[in-house]
Amino acid sequence: MLNRLRIKYLLLVFLFCAAPAYAEEMELAPLLVELKLSSTQIETLSSPFVQEKYLDIFAEKLLSQGRFAYRKPDLLRWELLTPVASGFVLRGDQGERWNRLSQRQESFSVKKDPVMGMIAQQLLAWARVDLDWLQSRYRMELQKLTPVVLHLYPRDKGEAEFIDHLQIQFSADRSHVVAVQMVEQGGDSTSISFTAVEINSELSDSVFQVPDQ
Amino acid sequence: MIALIVASYRSFQSRRGWLVLLLLVLLAGAVVNISQLQIEDSITAMLPDGESHVAHDFTLLQKAPFARQLVINVTATDEVSSDDLLAATEALRQSLPADLFLNSVSGSGDVAATPLFKQLGDYLPVLVDETDLQTIAMKLLPEEIDRSLAADLAQLLQPQGMVLKEKIRRDPLQLENLALQKLANLNPIPEMTLKNGHFISLDGHSSLILANTTIPMTDATGGRALLDAFAAASRQLPVGIDAQLISGHPYTLANAETIQADMKLVLLVSGIGILLLFFIFLRSLRALFVYLLPLFSMAAALVVVGACFGTVSGITVGFGAVILGITIDYGLHVYFSWRYGSDNLGREQLLRAVSRPVLFGGLTSLSAFAVLLTSALPGQRQLAVFAGTGIVTALLLALFFLPHFIGTGKEWKSSSALQLRRHIYDRKPLLRYGVLFLWLVIAGFAAIQAQKLTINAELRQLSYLPPKLQQAEQQLRETWGDIRSRALIFASGKDLESALQRNDLVWKQLEKQGVANQVVSLAPLLPSLQTQHERLQSWENFWQQRQATTRDLLQMTGQKYGFSANAFAPFWERLGRPVPLIDTDLVASWGLGRAISSLLLVDDQGYQLLTMFPDQPELINALDSEFSQLAGINLVSQRRFSQQLSQEIGADFSRFVSLAGVAVVILLLLLFRRLPELLLALLPVLTGLLVMFGGMGWLGLEMNLFNVVAAILIIGLGVDYGIFMVCHGQQEENLASSRAILVSGLTTLVGFGALLLARHPALHSIGLTVLLGIGAAVPTALLVIPAFRPKRL
Repeated sequence: MLNRLRIKYLLLVFLFCAAPAYAEEMELAPLLVELKLSSTQIETLSSPFVQEKYLDIFAEKLLSQGRFAYRKPDLLRWELLTPVASGFVLRGDQGERWNRLSQRQESFSVKKDPVMGMIAQQLLAWARVDLDWLQSRYRMELQKLTPVVLHLYPRDKGEAEFIDHLQIQFSADRSHVVAVQMVEQGGDSTSISFTAVEINSELSDSVFQVPDQ
Repeated sequence: MIALIVASYRSFQSRRGWLVLLLLVLLAGAVVNISQLQIEDSITAMLPDGESHVAHDFTLLQKAPFARQLVINVTATDEVSSDDLLAATEALRQSLPADLFLNSVSGSGDVAATPLFKQLGDYLPVLVDETDLQTIAMKLLPEEIDRSLAADLAQLLQPQGMVLKEKIRRDPLQLENLALQKLANLNPIPEMTLKNGHFISLDGHSSLILANTTIPMTDATGGRALLDAFAAASRQLPVGIDAQLISGHPYTLANAETIQADMKLVLLVSGIGILLLFFIFLRSLRALFVYLLPLFSMAAALVVVGACFGTVSGITVGFGAVILGITIDYGLHVYFSWRYGSDNLGREQLLRAVSRPVLFGGLTSLSAFAVLLTSALPGQRQLAVFAGTGIVTALLLALFFLPHFIGTGKEWKSSSALQLRRHIYDRKPLLRYGVLFLWLVIAGFAAIQAQKLTINAELRQLSYLPPKLQQAEQQLRETWGDIRSRALIFASGKDLESALQRNDLVWKQLEKQGVANQVVSLAPLLPSLQTQHERLQSWENFWQQRQATTRDLLQMTGQKYGFSANAFAPFWERLGRPVPLIDTDLVASWGLGRAISSLLLVDDQGYQLLTMFPDQPELINALDSEFSQLAGINLVSQRRFSQQLSQEIGADFSRFVSLAGVAVVILLLLLFRRLPELLLALLPVLTGLLVMFGGMGWLGLEMNLFNVVAAILIIGLGVDYGIFMVCHGQQEENLASSRAILVSGLTTLVGFGALLLARHPALHSIGLTVLLGIGAAVPTALLVIPAFRPKRL
């Protein structure tokens, strides 16, 4: 009798726990399809952004502003304008990075620089809303439906050593990402808000070159 | 000796059965002995041995990492992604049988998963040399600290900052880069990068598998099994991905198969040719005994060489078989004199007459080959014994046995035979001037062209190099850089520490020459304990002078860029920690075990550390002068090895020709006792050699090891032709020498000239040389000697 009660209890607990997860998956799957469809029209993306860093290594919160640009299939520009003019452009496998403060400028290849390779892959995946790739790298949880907010947990052990989770917020029309928050294992975090996103505007080749001094 | 031959002939004339029995017993004994012979297939028999520099270098060259490894180059078309290529490469590696492909790897393993990058910076104090300390001193200047922290800030603000944060705290001035640079010299493959721990080319379209094997490079049967296993595994590769095995085995197999195919063709052609000669000139079953002579001689030679040397070099057997073609001469001369010679004075007188040139012909060849005993090449010394035994056997058989089995001929009485005895110059006297003029023109032309002849001792030139394999090697070079032909330096020691100390010396010299970035060496990452202690002392002195100032500068500049007060605490904490020393176990724990096993060789003699660097002549010369005085350091260069081998072969050949020449001249003097006859007897051999050298020079060919041995055949036969023709001219008896020389020459040309059809360069080369040399020696003997000195009738 006692055993039967235990089994019923356990069954109830299991059903209560499993139900939201199942519902979430049911909700997430069509949502991801919708996000993917909305992003297919994107040829170019450009936006100013504001970045806030809460890092133990700094005495205070570090605020910076910058610009982001993407053109299909693999052109990227990630540039900080303040407090340190720095950034990188990527054209396929090859890229160049610069730092006006240290007056350093150098070329790199994503094949030879694994860290830059990983960063480039991430940024391109977000710009393209490459959900297949992202799903292969992260377990996704839907936090909010309007606007869509997702939590992403790294599947890769190496990445999980650094990142606890990512929070991604999509635009109201669900066509692109408007905010990213990255929470690290030690508690440090970085938030980036894309403030005025322009979709499919003309982006010339010069955008993906190192800016003049 | 001649009296003994005649007496023996007389004694056994009625007891031929005993001779047959003796011959059969000896033959049976030889067959049993030969079946137990060990034939060695190594090319080392044709390399100088003993204490010679070349032999030493050859042994060391075999120790180069890629000389003893199997290299599999996996290539993909543009449509195949690098991930798919690496997956296919790993699948191929796993499907290779582990008993044939030992310790196969397709990458360095996941070095990132090892503590290498976390720990390497801790060992900076024992890794940095004086130049590095100067670099660090520059980095501690205020403006450089400012620049470094600005770069750190910029990095932290960038997306990659998250990954680099802890590293920046530990190493804000990027000093660890100096330690990381030490890893660069461990990469033996210049054009290689790593992806997920796998070797991949910079274009992402090629990957590599490296493996060891116990199958010797010269083992054709084992090589077949290896290649079959590789082919079976490669068949499973997806569409768009191909794999090539690069090692000595495919060459060995291709050579063995080419030689087999060549021999079928050559034996068919030469067989038909010899059969034609037999029907045209001999037309008697008894003449078959003459053709058996080289076979008996070869059997005896194998038995004696086996008894003297234990194992017989395969190359000796091959060359010996060619050289023993000479022995057919003796049989032919006895046969023709017996069948066609004038026997007015009786058989014994005829035997006496023919024995003289046959014996001297044999003796001159014997003395020529005896000179080979002084050769630096063990294979050539074996060849001397082989050829000597073969010649003695052939002489014994030709003079003691053959006369009993070839019967007496009646042919000489026929009108055609009588016609044959009259030389063409008797019928057309003016023709001799035409012949002499033509001979002079040809000899003059050959003498001019011979000056173009060069010696090439490149071992690869002796092998058949299939175009497909050459393409695969070319592709390997283009994709991965020149990984298989770099110069090597061996730093040796009875214990690891003394070898490491010498390795440090080598590294310093290479740094001085400004080629450190092209060198593969363990020295930067694994210095000797002595060097590590010295560096540690220098490191401590360095920081004692600078620590306080640097701390203040870092604090002040850090504040300027917003860093917290304890931002760089890990940097100072590490600087105060005791520094551990680096040993081989530690380097292996960093996932670099393969680099250690490639560059650190251990045997019962002690330890050898290997350094690889570009094989550039100026660099080799500069380093050679530095290292020649230092014990335990040996420099080996593929290029220099070939040059030295060429020189040694050239010197050997010159010594051989001059000594053999002296021996031949002395014997000819003993035989003829007159200068004109001596010079006449030398005409065929000199013309043969001149045309051979000149022909090769004219055709743009180079002299190699095979030509040297073929030249010996020409010398042996050429001198014989000269002796026979001069004796023929001197003696009253008609020994039918012209016909014997013609048939001997034609047999040699058909037998060895057919090698011209071979695809294998060695066989082709022998064929061409023999064709040129004998092709000139025979007409010189038959037409030029009589033109100078007609037969006395």
